[in-house]
Parts: sequence; structure tokens; C-alpha cells
Amino acid sequence: MKKDNKLTLWERYLTKEIGIEFKACLYFFAILFFYCVYRIINGSFDADIIHMTEMIFTCYIIGYIQVYLFDNFDEADRLGVKEYTGMAVCTILYCLVSYFGGWFGKKLMVTLIMAAYILITYFCVFLIYKSKRTIDDKKLNEELRLFQTEHKKQ
Amino acid sequence: MKFDIKTITEGEESVIIRYKEPNPAVNRIIGILRNEGNKLWGRSDEESICIDLDEILYLESVDDKVFVYTPDKVLRIDGSLNSFLSETGDESFFRCSKSIIINVNRVVSLKSLSSNRIDATMEGGEHIIISRRYASEFRRLLKGDR
Repeated sequence: MKKDNKLTLWERYLTKEIGIEFKACLYFFAILFFYCVYRIINGSFDADIIHMTEMIFTCYIIGYIQVYLFDNFDEADRLGVKEYTGMAVCTILYCLVSYFGGWFGKKLMVTLIMAAYILITYFCVFLIYKSKRTIDDKKLNEELRLFQTEHKKQ
Repeated sequence: MKFDIKTITEGEESVIIRYKEPNPAVNRIIGILRNEGNKLWGRSDEESICIDLDEILYLESVDDKVFVYTPDKVLRIDGSLNSFLSETGDESFFRCSKSIIINVNRVVSLKSLSSNRIDATMEGGEHIIISRRYASEFRRLLKGDR
């Protein structure tokens, strides 16, 4: 009897959950970097723990929105209307939380710069996943040729 | 179908098949006796056709009917995708979704898609998506880890 290698519902849920955790870490790191640069420019060498906690929760919640509402747009095969909409909505959400949370002293200009920064980050993440898939294509096709050489019948 | 089995102690071993009209079961038995392990019988426009397993590009199950696609023919076979896999026992045939089995030897190229799916381009130019549920197993098959 062949072993059933198909993923169970629980395993599929767990895979998705790990993906969201990873996304939360990635975007938290990006926003924290922006925040730190902003603080240093303003002559402050410490970060507000409340702001950091808000950032983590925001990244986590927006991670859910990205995956469940916008079909993981940063990992999409190509950028279309749906993906651009997802990027715009999530960026607006980040900006609203940062503005009302006072991450940048409620300065509109800094919030707008952060919006551009997040959009660039999304685009870079999209490109990174795309190049990862291109490398994966080469690997898959190499393995396919090897399999076919071994299994082709005379 | 009735059948008699007799054990003999001397003389040549023989098999007699009696049928009114050829049918897939009889064709399959004849195929086994003729050592046609790599053949598959199917129906196309009211006639029975025998094809080489190597000719198959992919199999598709539509409304509990199984269709076999070759570069120039479409046949209907009896049974299910699962029974095909267990009967052939050929590693080159891979279940890539609930309703499709592909012949990996007839795949021209593979493309990695988002959400861990794989797009397989067949020799006829058809694109078959290996769903995320089966993609990990497909990768293991290619690596020889299955």
C-alpha cells in the first residue's frame, strides 16, 4: 500500500500560518529600519517599545489581510489590478496606524515617505520571489531531464 | 464472466479464452498473455484501440469517465485514475490533481508558480497545473525520494 503523502488540512493551515509569521517578521524588520533611521535623523537613539509592539501587531494583522483577502499579492506570478489594489490597501493601513499611533510624531510628510517606502518594499519582495521561482524553474527542469533519462523506455 | 482453473502435472500449459464479442476485460487478458504489459486498451468512436503506455500524454477524469490523451488520439478507458495507477505501477505516471494524471516522460518543461504550484508543459503544448497539494510529492518524485 502506497503511503499517502498528501497534506492534511492541519498541515495546510500550518503552512499558511508559518507564511504569515514570516511575512510579519519581514515587514516588521523593514518598518523598524525606517523607524530607526527616522529616530536617528531626529537625534534620538532609542526606540519606543509601545511603537514596536504596535508595529508587530500591525504587521501580523496586515499579513492575514495580505494572505486571506488579497491572495498573497507579493508572491504573485505577475502584478495585475488585484495585486496593485492589495499593495495600495495594505500601504494605506500601515500609514493610518503609523499616523494615529504617532510613530513619526504625526508628521504627514514622513507618513507619505513611509508609504512610498512600503510600496518599494512590496515591489522588491515581489521581485525577490520572482527570481527565486526563476532559479527554482532551472532546478526543476534539470531534475526533470534526469528523471526522464532514467525512466525513458527503449 | 465464468472461468475454470485446472492444475496439470504434464503437457503444455495453455489458456483458452471464449468470448462473444471483444470487450476491454477480454482485451486486457489477451494483452497480459501476449506480454503486452505496456499496452492499454481504450475506446475511440465505437472501436477498441490498443496504445502504448509511452504514447500517453495525460489522463483526465471527467464526470467519472476517464479519458486518455495521446498526441493524436483521445480514448476512453474503464476504471478510475486510481485503478490505472495501481494497475500500471509505472512511476512515470503522476497524479497531479484530483482529476489528472500526467506522464512525466512526456513533459517538455516545468515552471514554478506562486503558492508552490507547478506548471507542466506537455509535448502537445497543453499546460497542466500541478496543484500545491501534489507539488511536494512531485518534487520528491523527480529527486527519486518517493
